[in-house]
Amino acid sequence: MHDYPLLFVIWLFPLIGALVLWAFGPQLKSLGGPIGSAMVGVAFVAALFAWNDATTGAGAHQALFAWLPQFVFGLQWDRISLVWTLIITGVGFLIHVYSIGYMAGDHAFARFFAYLNFFVFAMLTLVLSDNFVGLLVGWGLVGLASYLLIGFYFERPSAVAASRKAFVINVVGDIGILYAVFVIVAKIGAIGYGDVFANVAKFSPGELFAVCLGLFIGCAAKSAQVPLHTWLPDAMEGPTPVSALIHAATMVTAGVYLIARCAPLWNASSDARVLVGSIGALTAITGAILGCAQWDIKRILAYSTMSQIGYMIMGVGVGAFDAGILHFLTHAFFKAQLFLGAGIIIHNLADEQDVRKMGGLRRKMPFAFAAMLIGVLSICGIPGFSGYFSKDAVLSGTLAHGHPVMWAVGVLTAGLTAYYMFRMLFVTFLGQYRGHVDPSELGLRHPELAGTAHAAHAADEHGHAHAPAWLMSGPVALLMIPSVLIGWLDLGGDASPWGRFFEPVFGHFEPAAGTPPESLTSLVVLVLVAAGLGIAYARYGHPRALIEAIPRLREETVRMPAALTNRFYFDTAIDALFVRTSFVLGRVFGTIVDPLAIDAGVREAGFSAQWLGHLFRSFQTGLVRAYALALAFGAACFALYYVMIGAGR
Amino acid sequence: MSVPPGAYVILAAVLFFIGVVGVIARRNPLIQLMSIELLFNSANLVLVTFARVWGNNAGHIFAFLVITVAAAEAAIGLAIVVIVFRKTRFVDVDEVAALKG
Repeated sequence: MHDYPLLFVIWLFPLIGALVLWAFGPQLKSLGGPIGSAMVGVAFVAALFAWNDATTGAGAHQALFAWLPQFVFGLQWDRISLVWTLIITGVGFLIHVYSIGYMAGDHAFARFFAYLNFFVFAMLTLVLSDNFVGLLVGWGLVGLASYLLIGFYFERPSAVAASRKAFVINVVGDIGILYAVFVIVAKIGAIGYGDVFANVAKFSPGELFAVCLGLFIGCAAKSAQVPLHTWLPDAMEGPTPVSALIHAATMVTAGVYLIARCAPLWNASSDARVLVGSIGALTAITGAILGCAQWDIKRILAYSTMSQIGYMIMGVGVGAFDAGILHFLTHAFFKAQLFLGAGIIIHNLADEQDVRKMGGLRRKMPFAFAAMLIGVLSICGIPGFSGYFSKDAVLSGTLAHGHPVMWAVGVLTAGLTAYYMFRMLFVTFLGQYRGHVDPSELGLRHPELAGTAHAAHAADEHGHAHAPAWLMSGPVALLMIPSVLIGWLDLGGDASPWGRFFEPVFGHFEPAAGTPPESLTSLVVLVLVAAGLGIAYARYGHPRALIEAIPRLREETVRMPAALTNRFYFDTAIDALFVRTSFVLGRVFGTIVDPLAIDAGVREAGFSAQWLGHLFRSFQTGLVRAYALALAFGAACFALYYVMIGAGR
Repeated sequence: MSVPPGAYVILAAVLFFIGVVGVIARRNPLIQLMSIELLFNSANLVLVTFARVWGNNAGHIFAFLVITVAAAEAAIGLAIVVIVFRKTRFVDVDEVAALKG
């Protein structure tokens, strides 16, 4: 394979941007944003230029260096890397531009863009690497970038706690991948994807499942799958563009990437397919149910992200790889758009995130309304919008691969999605503006019930120096186009442009006989979506409901079931099982093991040295003649010994 | 064959004893250094004696080595004595006990 240096342009420009902004940020001042955006833009253009080389044959490859003879590092450029790279750099570029407006006047403007550029570099490392170790490096680096950006407002304790939580949970996932890599190296002795996938047959079924499980633990942590999802809603502490880029469009889909990349492993292990598909379905419905109970606009979107990634994981998990990737693609666009739209609202309302205090924003912010409406229509799977095609592809793919239960859960989730997304839309945009209503009338006296205790934070985080409005609305407007149109790529199933694009990678799949036709399952989904939409309309959008909106929201806030406000007790359970046990263990070691075993040993060693020192000290009289006497005595003893031996012979 | 080897050995033992007593009993460092020379040379005497007895030259060579080392030792020892004398104005090894533990 010949070298392909263009990959260096894609891969390293964001890194250069990050380093420059890190080093010279304070001097560059407001230039930091444009420089950071340009670096990602260059990478995007380079990726477009390299498109054809990814789709011809097995793609391109650039060798980097050999760590050990068998462990060669390199960059790989094929269809899967192409899709992810284009999203990371393309959507990433738009979000960089948006951030110039959103973060204008922030005292750490350049630091923000340095982190964002660093994230893009880390994510590209993850998707361009041609081996498992390089992937793990990228995997760790995106975790670091996520940690830095969630904790961007490090003067706010809740942000610091959220960033720490995200980092710790992601390290749990890293350990899973590390374990899988160990098994792979022990069994195959190579780390390159090509070498490993060519030797899948060397694994016993148990080992193969262990590898898949290890990899999936990593995916579950990174992609917020149950039960490792609890960091994602908290991660909304970061600035909104970060939520859009990292916690919606790109980083959280790394798990989808890894499973699609390791398709040969999943194809060979039906246990892994069932496990991953079930966890994906469970995540989808859990996220959707919890999404119904949120009041913070970013948390609603966070739970919907979790739910949609559940779909993707279910798709790639059961073997419908191209459907899962398609959902990643459409989701990247419409979810980025939803987050950026929410960012416009939050920005204009001086950092208010609670939808109960919004209302009637349709007239105040018509552009944000249009953006959110298109995003919601797309995520709900209304025919004609991108989300419809991809969600349909995932659901029919799940059914075609013979998992009717997961399919049913997915269909139910689709109905719930329509309900909570339109609930958010109606509560935010219809009726009267409630920003001046006394919070107690909305039931906000009970922040612990509302689950959005952190929502009201100081408005002075960024000084709201006003940048031109097009910087924020332009990227959102551009995102609307793919939000509507990109799904059409899948029109026509296997013969569609999308199906043909991935056929050389994943091969052709023939559904089992007796699988219901796609149109039928699609109809079931549509009925449930319509039902969800109808219920949301009756409760929040109907003119009669709008008149009594304030008492209604108060009622709902106060009456919210405890299981929902406590997010199904996942946090409580993790706290009780792991955090508390760690504290107890720490206390046991701190009060018993350390002072009595370890410290005592060290102390005793010191004391005995002291005692021996005292003993030997008394021999050192400093009298030369005494030493001479001792020498003579010793010599005499030797002499006596030899004389005795001589006498004994 | 004039003198038997045993006589040399006895002479060496006498010399050695005188040397040991000189080092242990005397407090003048110059006397002690001379006594140490006696110790060396008693050892040398034994070495050459047995070299002759066994017809092996190693003893002779070793004796030369000891003479060289003795010369170095005397040089260092005398230098130390001179330095100590400059500082303390008296020569009694029992008074020089700065290394007492």
